[in-house]
Amino acid sequence: MTAILEGRNIVKTFTTRRGGQKHEVRAVGDVTVAADRGEIVGLVGESGCGKTTFSRILIGIETASSGTVLHDGKPVATKADWKALRRDVQYVFQDPYTSLCPTMRIGEALAEPLLVHGIGDKSERAERVREALSLVGLQGFIADRLPSQLSGGQRQRVSLARALMIRPRVLICDEIVSGLDVSVQAQVLTLLTELQASLGLSLIFISHDLRVIRYLCDRVVVMYRGEIVEQGPVERVFGAPESDYTRGLLAAIPDHSRRGEPRLGLRPAGHEGARLA
Amino acid sequence: MTTVTAIAMQAPRPAPHRAWRAALNPPIVIGAAILGLAILSAVLAPVIAPYGPTTIDLSAVRKPPSFAHFFGTDGVGRDVFSRVLYGGRVSLTVAGIGMIGSLAFGTAMGLLGAFGNRFVEVAVSRLIDIQLAFPYVLLAIAVTSAVRPSIPVLILLMVLAGWAGAARVVRGIALQERGKDYVKAAAVLGVPKMRVALKHVLPTIIPSLIVLAAMQMAAMIVFEATLSFLGMGVQPPTPSWGGIMLDGKNYITSAWWMTALPGVALVLTSLALVLIGDGLQRRFNAKGVR
Amino acid sequence: MSADPALRFEHVTIAFPGAEGPLKVVNDVSFAVGSGQCLVIVGESGSGKSMACQALLGIVPAPGAVSGQGIFWEGRDLLKSSARDWMKVRGAEIAMVFQDPAAALNPLMPVGRQIVDVVRAHRSVTRAEAERRAIEVLNQVGFPEPERRMRAYPIELSGGLRQRVAIALALACGPKLIVADEATTNLDVSIQAQIIGLLRSLKEELGISIVFVTHDLGLAPEIGDEVLVMYAGHAVERGPVREVLDRPSHPYTIGLLNSAPTLESSRAHPLKPIPGQVPALDEIGAGAPFRSRCPVVVSGRCDSAKPDWTACGGGHFVACHRFAQDGIGGVQ
Repeated sequence: MTAILEGRNIVKTFTTRRGGQKHEVRAVGDVTVAADRGEIVGLVGESGCGKTTFSRILIGIETASSGTVLHDGKPVATKADWKALRRDVQYVFQDPYTSLCPTMRIGEALAEPLLVHGIGDKSERAERVREALSLVGLQGFIADRLPSQLSGGQRQRVSLARALMIRPRVLICDEIVSGLDVSVQAQVLTLLTELQASLGLSLIFISHDLRVIRYLCDRVVVMYRGEIVEQGPVERVFGAPESDYTRGLLAAIPDHSRRGEPRLGLRPAGHEGARLA
Repeated sequence: MTTVTAIAMQAPRPAPHRAWRAALNPPIVIGAAILGLAILSAVLAPVIAPYGPTTIDLSAVRKPPSFAHFFGTDGVGRDVFSRVLYGGRVSLTVAGIGMIGSLAFGTAMGLLGAFGNRFVEVAVSRLIDIQLAFPYVLLAIAVTSAVRPSIPVLILLMVLAGWAGAARVVRGIALQERGKDYVKAAAVLGVPKMRVALKHVLPTIIPSLIVLAAMQMAAMIVFEATLSFLGMGVQPPTPSWGGIMLDGKNYITSAWWMTALPGVALVLTSLALVLIGDGLQRRFNAKGVR
Repeated sequence: MSADPALRFEHVTIAFPGAEGPLKVVNDVSFAVGSGQCLVIVGESGSGKSMACQALLGIVPAPGAVSGQGIFWEGRDLLKSSARDWMKVRGAEIAMVFQDPAAALNPLMPVGRQIVDVVRAHRSVTRAEAERRAIEVLNQVGFPEPERRMRAYPIELSGGLRQRVAIALALACGPKLIVADEATTNLDVSIQAQIIGLLRSLKEELGISIVFVTHDLGLAPEIGDEVLVMYAGHAVERGPVREVLDRPSHPYTIGLLNSAPTLESSRAHPLKPIPGQVPALDEIGAGAPFRSRCPVVVSGRCDSAKPDWTACGGGHFVACHRFAQDGIGGVQ
């Protein structure tokens, strides 16, 4: 089966000038990730590992220096290709406070994707907005609100609903629960699993939080400094990590379910290791 | 820096209530009061004015201010006070139209400069640079030497001279907004660029446009006066503040009131507008909108 | 908890003026920290945990008003002491580490000089002595090559190193208590682990007390001795960390634990989110703060009276009417 969405051999380099010399910074180096139907793929790594850049290349917000984005097995090249891809693939941004237009009422913001794609007439669109709101567990009156009148969790639900308006097959979620409180995060994660099951959605879920990845994903890709260091089914990667980096990352996770002595330790970490007097 | 100051530097948490911030600040109140007075006296000119604006009285030429003539009389015995009132009607109307025109054109160009394709972007920003570098008086001289000066020509000149400033501000803000996630989100959802510019970005610019409108209006009042004073604006006998001052130019040492008093009206009105613009800016900043 | 705790925070209330009467962002909260101990305050946004910290340092922003029986530091009531006395305590004896090290450091000054300045503000020492002290604390926090790199500006350092400098700044005058407000929240997990390890060794080797404020319950066992759970301005559960995590007794704490994914969780065992949202402060009124989202409300009690502390054994207390009535079986 061909994957709905695949980034193949994606490389992204930035050039910076420092002291008159050009430096090439490789943000993403030769990364290949594919999303199959109904699958949740986790992309995990620390800040600067290139996970967000890679995900933005998949939807065309940023362009790759080299490599190909494949949509249903066909390379995406022309403007029309990207347009078709965006009917199938949607993106939810990390910060719910900046990803909604501050002056547009929620109902209008939700109806807009339908409007610009010429889907339905006015009353059908209103109906779809109501459906979408209830799908993400929000009440209908939210449609008359402005983003500034909503909490962070509610905004993130609205962002989700908006991305789902045109019924994509793949949803890319960039750190969408990182800014949320634990109890709100649980609500959004539960919602995501429900949506995935009921709509048969594929998810590419980006997070720095391994606990969230472990909970949500079928497959995980661990990135470090722009490269993939390990990938595989979550049970395998979390149960028997193959790379030292993944092992270190797992050991650093604070976890209230662990018994006995605290495990967070001062592992030798190069020059950053603590030396106590 | 001490720890103490480090502590003091911590970003203040949003206080539960800050309604007190919404109170009107003094500059807005003072500015609005003066502007209100100016508009009111212009509107009510036929009622208030003791004489007609063009009524010549050769028996009272260049009389200093008195109870009969608050602002004195001019070289042909016209009452300066009445002329200033009527002149306000012309000056404010012309400046208002010029302000709206230049702001509308400037906003359109600014948005085009931020959301157009690469060619349009560069073209607009070069055009803005050229316009800002071009002395507007020179422009006015060039235009009025080709066509006879009149009020429509004056308004056209105002738009030509004023759009670039507005365009630069709008373009700057729009470029900033363009980098934000909500604009990217709209693009990913397939919303066309120009719709993003008009439906998403333009409403967020409105607070800045309101401030800009006040400042632009002040500039336009001065612009009108300047051109009329140079004889390229409103043509006699129609009174306008610049035109009245022009009439008094030759007598400035002997009959100061003919130029000074319309000048006071001009300065006060534009000062009021600047105060309003400033105050609004501060209020919007306090509320976290631009 | 030791017999004579270094810090006692007793029945403190912090109120801001609201449209309909004062809004209590911290409502009658008490806790104590023994010397060389670490108290973890856990809560979500709006729980009042950060405000409690700020009260501890006397930096509650206006127009907030702090009242209560007192904030006792080594026997002295800070609430009653003058601003001058408080300032002497703050920085010298009690220091704070913030979530964002960038906000605590002056971007225009080399990091070493910032530490030197703090030392010289509180102690009458020569510049050379202050510099030696700066190198000493930078060494303590594991800052590499302090002699050379103390001349770096904050922008030249990584986030982890900046937080180390912020901690060194806090350590400079030899404080007995460090208040860390979400000090590891924005850091990568591996850096977070290092900072936690650093704080733990400060506690164990230098005997410094720590108040560690976080939204992440998972961090509590890594550093804390005691934990205090806060919800909507109220303290709802407190006790030794393992006691509270192994036998959570307040419906909110239980809900929080059921909401947080762990390394063992998976979709096969769905999370159980707490329904609803945190109520606005003026909606809480006289009753139990959690009642609007609580699955085990005691009708007639929860909406009319604030629950008192009930002992659950082992120094573990919970403020819950249901627990007081039916014990642990009632809340689970």
